[in-house]
Amino acid sequence: MKITDLFQDKITVFTSEVGPVKGCVRDTDDDTTPKCLSEANLVKDYVHAINVTDNQSAVMRLGSLAGSVKLKERGIEPIYQITCRDRNRIALQSEVLTACSLGIDNVLVLTGDHTSLGDHIAAKPVFDVDSVQLLKIASGMKNGYDMMGHELARAPQYALGAVVNPNFTPLDLQLIKMEKKIQAGAEFFQTQAVYDPKLFETFIKKAEKFDVPIQVGVVFVKSAKMAKFMNEKISGITVPESWGKNLEGLTGEKAKEKCVEMTGDLLKEIAPMCQGVHFMPLGWSDLVPRIIDKVFK
Amino acid sequence: MIGTTRKPLDEVLQALEGKEKIVVMGCNGCAKACKTGGDAEVADMAATLTGAGKSVIWEVTPERTCYIQHTTGSLAGHEQTISDTDAFLVLGCGGAAQVARQALDEMGFVKPVKIALNSVGHLDTIIAGKLAIEQCQECGDCVLNETGGICPVTKCAKSLLNGPCGGAQDGKCEVDPQRDCAWVMIYDRLKALGEMEKLYVYRDPKDYSKSNKPRTLVIA
Ligand code: SF4
Ligand code: SF4
Repeated sequence: MKITDLFQDKITVFTSEVGPVKGCVRDTDDDTTPKCLSEANLVKDYVHAINVTDNQSAVMRLGSLAGSVKLKERGIEPIYQITCRDRNRIALQSEVLTACSLGIDNVLVLTGDHTSLGDHIAAKPVFDVDSVQLLKIASGMKNGYDMMGHELARAPQYALGAVVNPNFTPLDLQLIKMEKKIQAGAEFFQTQAVYDPKLFETFIKKAEKFDVPIQVGVVFVKSAKMAKFMNEKISGITVPESWGKNLEGLTGEKAKEKCVEMTGDLLKEIAPMCQGVHFMPLGWSDLVPRIIDKVFK
Repeated sequence: MIGTTRKPLDEVLQALEGKEKIVVMGCNGCAKACKTGGDAEVADMAATLTGAGKSVIWEVTPERTCYIQHTTGSLAGHEQTISDTDAFLVLGCGGAAQVARQALDEMGFVKPVKIALNSVGHLDTIIAGKLAIEQCQECGDCVLNETGGICPVTKCAKSLLNGPCGGAQDGKCEVDPQRDCAWVMIYDRLKALGEMEKLYVYRDPKDYSKSNKPRTLVIA
């Protein structure tokens, strides 16, 4: 299923996200199901599709394509993420063809975090093409040609997604890039985590003219420590001080309750401004159904 | 210039293991500017090696060791010393050491040429005698005319050509918060120049075949 069909039907589109395990998945039964698959099981009846990250934060893991295919086998719609960090243009095009051949209908294109932020800092960063270029290449392939203009025996089909960061300053520069992504073939957008409704409104007002579906991104803030860490270490995200304060001293179910409450309140305000919500639960996938029930049912 | 830093002394001594009579060769070009291989540093290295029990039989610092004519010119007339030496130790960039090796070959000598420095890039001196930074990686197809004179290939950690990644924070790069995001700099510069329309132009993937190694330049 292409996620773009849902946007066309004017449905509020929910997606969640899983990071593949550091290890392989093979002959999985219930005892050995890796966390990425069990997390997907927790949310599958509540979201329309699940993003599978591509060596997120430049930490080496199972590939996003294998993760995506495993979800698909279980009847869960994957959004296959592909970054420009680890592959040159030959590998990227080949990978996109492979993804389509294995049944992937949704491809989300990202630049990728730099190798120096991950667990193999001595690796050679590739970045042969950037995300705008990869979108253009991948949409050209849908028309039956590789980036050099060589004909493909059979053209792949998929919905192409991209990301945008509403927290970026100067915002105009981010919007220019967003516009270039749309011209290059991006059909839907998921945003970086946003915690400030005013900021999101400013962004949405400016992005409206593009007439492209946007899902607001939410990262679950699990503790005061994590709020502090995100503000200090994760570029492009600002968690309000009050969130950290509210979580101070809370653990376990108490922390989860607070997270559901704060995230729910935030989504009540910002979800109506756009076409859907993209959850980045970071291990707390069980909260996704709770928040959806609370806010949207 | 080509930036160079000193290798740890241990590594240098290991490279010279079993070699007693040493010629220390510097470079009065880039290595002098980096304070790693000019006359002064060659003298320092000679003293250090002497202290370590080596016999330094000649110190020589060509004007620019990566220009073969300078190196050959410095070596000419010293055939006896060259013949006596067990090894050359070059305080220059990787190119200087290889040109020295070629110059010796052409003079008919087969002598080990060891290097005392690490080469760390094509760098521009932005604070005289203090700081040099990398701003160009010689991609072979310069885009500075389109980017306000700021190179995204080099100054953006991801060499992005169509605008910033989402990771910049307060104008700083996600890879190093001490460094300005190249794309925010390009944006500010193009805005100041009244050339904002350049930001909207789609830029094709770079032709990296233009920087396939090793490159050759025929000087007409
Ligand atoms: S675009 Fe950058 S790397 Fe290429 S030649 Fe110009 S300054 Fe050098
Ligand atoms: S933050 Fe700016 S300079 Fe750093 S990788 Fe991203 S776009 Fe490039």
